[in-house]
Amino acid sequence: MTDLSERNAVKHLPRALAGLVGLTALALVTAACNANNNDSSPSSAPTGFHQGGTLTIYSSSTEQLFDPATSQSLAITSQGLVHRRLTTWDIEPGQEPKVVPDLATNTGTPSKGGRVWTYKLKPGLKLSNGDPITSEDIKYGIERSFAPELSGGLSYHKTLLKGGDSYTGPYQGKELSSITTPNDRTIVFHLDTPYGDWPWIASMPAFAPVPPSADKKPSTYGNDPVASGPYEVASDKPGQDVVLERNPNWDKSTDPVRLGGPDKIVFKLGVDDTTAAQQLISDTGEAKDAFGSGFVPPAQLKQITGNSDAKSWLALSNPGALEYLAMNTQRPQLKDVRVRQAIEYAVDKRAFQLAAGGTQGGELATTLITPGIPGRQEYNLYPAPPEGDMAKAKDLLSQAGATDLTLSLVSANDTTSLNQAQAIQQGLERVGVKVKIVPQDPNAYISTITGDKGDYDLTVSSWQPDFPSANGNISPLFDSSQIGGGGYNLSRYSNRKVDAMIEQATGEVDQAKAQADWAAADKAIMKDAPVVPLLYTRNAFLRGSDVENFDVSGFPNYPNYLRISLANG
Amino acid sequence: MATTAYVVQRFLQAVLVLLLIAALTFLVFHLLPTDITQASCGKPCTPERQAAVRHFYGYDESIVQQFWEFLRGIVTGRTFGTGAAAVHCDAPCFGYSFRLHASVTSLIGQYFPVTASIAIGSAVLWLLVGVSSGVVAALKRGTWVDRVATASTVVGISAPSYLVGLVGIYLFGFKLDVLPVGTYVPLTQSPVDWAWHLVLPWCVLAFLSAAVYTRITRSQMLEVLDESYVRTARAKGIRERRVVARHALRNALLPVVTLFGLDLGTLLGGAVITEKIFSMQGLGSLLIDSVNQLDLPVVLGVTLFSAFLIVLANLVVDLAYSRLDPRVSRNG
Repeated sequence: MTDLSERNAVKHLPRALAGLVGLTALALVTAACNANNNDSSPSSAPTGFHQGGTLTIYSSSTEQLFDPATSQSLAITSQGLVHRRLTTWDIEPGQEPKVVPDLATNTGTPSKGGRVWTYKLKPGLKLSNGDPITSEDIKYGIERSFAPELSGGLSYHKTLLKGGDSYTGPYQGKELSSITTPNDRTIVFHLDTPYGDWPWIASMPAFAPVPPSADKKPSTYGNDPVASGPYEVASDKPGQDVVLERNPNWDKSTDPVRLGGPDKIVFKLGVDDTTAAQQLISDTGEAKDAFGSGFVPPAQLKQITGNSDAKSWLALSNPGALEYLAMNTQRPQLKDVRVRQAIEYAVDKRAFQLAAGGTQGGELATTLITPGIPGRQEYNLYPAPPEGDMAKAKDLLSQAGATDLTLSLVSANDTTSLNQAQAIQQGLERVGVKVKIVPQDPNAYISTITGDKGDYDLTVSSWQPDFPSANGNISPLFDSSQIGGGGYNLSRYSNRKVDAMIEQATGEVDQAKAQADWAAADKAIMKDAPVVPLLYTRNAFLRGSDVENFDVSGFPNYPNYLRISLANG
Repeated sequence: MATTAYVVQRFLQAVLVLLLIAALTFLVFHLLPTDITQASCGKPCTPERQAAVRHFYGYDESIVQQFWEFLRGIVTGRTFGTGAAAVHCDAPCFGYSFRLHASVTSLIGQYFPVTASIAIGSAVLWLLVGVSSGVVAALKRGTWVDRVATASTVVGISAPSYLVGLVGIYLFGFKLDVLPVGTYVPLTQSPVDWAWHLVLPWCVLAFLSAAVYTRITRSQMLEVLDESYVRTARAKGIRERRVVARHALRNALLPVVTLFGLDLGTLLGGAVITEKIFSMQGLGSLLIDSVNQLDLPVVLGVTLFSAFLIVLANLVVDLAYSRLDPRVSRNG
C-alpha cells in the first residue's frame, strides 16, 4: 500500500499466485544448469551522467513508506533507493531485463532440483547505522513480512517457502525454519516445490535487511528505516514530503545497478497527476529537476504534443502490459471453444485501441507473454485485420450452432473502462452477439472477477507481471488453481495439460529451457482461446528539463529511479 | 439556566445523531459486495492470508460485536494483535488505520489543520465579499452595479469548483506565475508562506460561495428596506448609514447566519475537490483516499467528525440566532 502510485494506473493488478506451490514437483536434473549469474560488477555510469543536485519526485499518493515488508514497489523505483535486496533488476535502455546479484554474490545456487536456494552475502556490506549486513538481518526482514500487522506487500515468497502458509511472523518469538543462516554471510531457502524463478523472488522488497534491534515499533518502521541503498530517510512528513539524503555507508563498488546521482531526493506527496504534469510543462523552479511518478493524464498528453519543449521531456514506453478480454470458459454459452474462437475473430481491436488512446495507448496484441519479457515468441493464431474477420467469426458460430448469444460484460465504472467495454460490445454485435455491459464500482468489480462465484461472461482486464519472467504472464492468469478465491484466472480456464506445462516450466531452473516451456504454454493456451489479447499498453511519463537518464522504454515501463541524474548536478 | 438545559438537550440529541451515523456507516461498509481486507492482504493474496488479516483487524467478528468494540475503544482504547508487534490505539480511539499506520484520532489531528485553514480563510473572505456586495447591490438596485453583482453570482453559482480551481491554477499559477499552485505549508512553519500558499484556494472557494451570499443578502436587504420600521427610522432622521447597518442589515443577516454556520460546518469536514486540486492533504482528500482503499476506520472516523462539526455548527447557529433576534424563543 505504500507506493502504489508508481503503478496505480495499471488496472486490476495481480493478487494471486498461491496455487503455484500446490503443484506437485517433477524430478528435475539441475546440477549445473541454473539461474546463476555472477555479473556483480558495479554499474558503469551512462554518458551524460552527473552527480549532485536535488531531484524532486511528484507523487499523488499521500504517503511514502519505506517498510520493505508492506511494499509492492518495483525493484527499480522508490524502495530501491533505500533498500538493497539479495538480488535486483538490471534495467537498461535497449536491453532485456536481467536479474543480478545485489547484496548476494550471485543470483542464487539451486540444489535439490530447485527446492533449495543458497546465497552468500558480499563481504564488507554495511547498513546506514554502520553495522555489518548479516544473513540474520535478511532472514528477519523476510520473517516480519509474514506478520498480519505488516501485510500488504508483495507476497510471492509467502506461499513458496516451506511452512509459510501457517507462519505469522517473528513477533510471537517464532522463527521460520525454512530459512536457515549457517553463518553471518550465508542464507538458505527451503521451498515446498522447485521454483526456477526464485532469483526474481529474491529481488522483492521483503528480501532487504532489517536488523531486529531497529524493529522496536514495527508498524512505523517504514518512517525511519535502516538503509542499505544509496539513500536514507532524512525526514518524513506524511501528506507533505519525504526527503532522502545520502547513506554514507553505501559502497558503490558493491552495487551493480544503483548510480546514486542526486545528493538529495524529495518525494512531494499528494500532488495530483494533472497538477504535476502542468508544473513539469511550465518547467520553472524545482520542476526543472523533477519528474512525475504517475502517468501523464490524457488531457496533458494532448497539450504536450503541441509543445515541442515538453514533447522532448515526455517519455513514452514501449508496448508492455497486456490488456485482454477474458471469456468465462465455465459459462454454458462460452463452453464451446468454437464460440470463443469466433469471438477472437469478431473483436474490433482497432476500435478498442482508439478507446484506449490510439497508438499512444498501446499496440495490438496477439500473444500472452508480453513484449520485453525474455523468451517471448511472436505469433498469431487468429490472424485477422485489426477490425476483425466477420466471415470467419460467423462461420465458427454457425459450426457451433450458437445463435442469439447474449453475453454479460462486467466492467469497472470509470469512463475509460466503459469506453473500452463499448468497443468490445460494438465489435461483437457485428456478428450478432449481443453484449450487456454491467458497470460496477472498482472495488466491487475486483471482488466480482476474482471471487468464487464467477457471475459474468466477459470482462476486460489488464495484466503486468510483478517480475520480468513469462511465469508472471502465464501462471496467475491460466493456472487452474487461480480460479476464484482472489485469483486472477478470470477466464476460469482449467486444462490439465496446461496445468502440467505450467508446473514443468515453474520448476525449471535452466532459464533457456524454462523460456521455451513458457512459450509453448502460451500457444497451447491460445489454442483454447480463453482470452482475446487486445493491446500491449504504453505508459507515458513526464520529466523536467534538467533530468537525465530518464528511461521508461522496456519492462517494467516505469522510470528507473536508480539511474536518474540531474544535468545541473 | 434555560440556556444550559437547552445546550444539554441539544448535546444529547447530537450524540444520538452521531451514533446513528456511525451505525449507518458501519452497515454500509458491511453491505458492500466486496471484502474490506482485499486492499490490505498483499499480492498475491491467498484465502488463508486474507483470513489472518481479517482476524487481526477484528473483521471476523459479528457486525454487532465490531460496532461494540468500536464504541468501547472510544472510552477504553484498543489493542490489535499481541506480542512485540501489537498495535495500541489510545482512548479516545476512533479506530486505527493499518493503511496509514496511525490512529484515526491522530490522523484527524494531522489533517484537520489543513482543512480548517482552507475553510476558515475562505469563509471569512466569502462572507465579507458576499454580504458587502449584496448590500451594495440592494442599495444600488437597478443600477449597473446591481446588474454586475447579480450577473457575477450566476457565474459563481453555476461554475463547477474543479473548473474554477483549474482555471485559477492555470491563470495565476502558470500563465502569470504570481501565486503558488498548491501544497500546504503549516502555519507553525511559516505564517507568511502558509497564507501565500492558501491565497488561491481561498479565492476560488470564496468566488464560488460568495455568490449565494450576495443573492441572499441582496434579496433580504430589499425586503427589509421596505419594512415600516426602516421607514420609521429614516423618518426619525437617523443617518442612512446607521439605518442600513443597525436596522436593516442586522435583520437581513439572520438567514445568512444560518447558511454560513452550515456551510462552514460542512467545509470544515473536508473540501474534497479543492483539497485535491491544490494538492493539500486535508480531511476531504483523506476521506476520498480512504473510501477508495476501503479503509473503514478512517471513513468512519472522518464521517463522524464531519457530522460532529455540522451538528456543532447547527447548535452554534441556533444559539446565535436567539442572540441576533430576540423574537426567536428557544422554547418556541
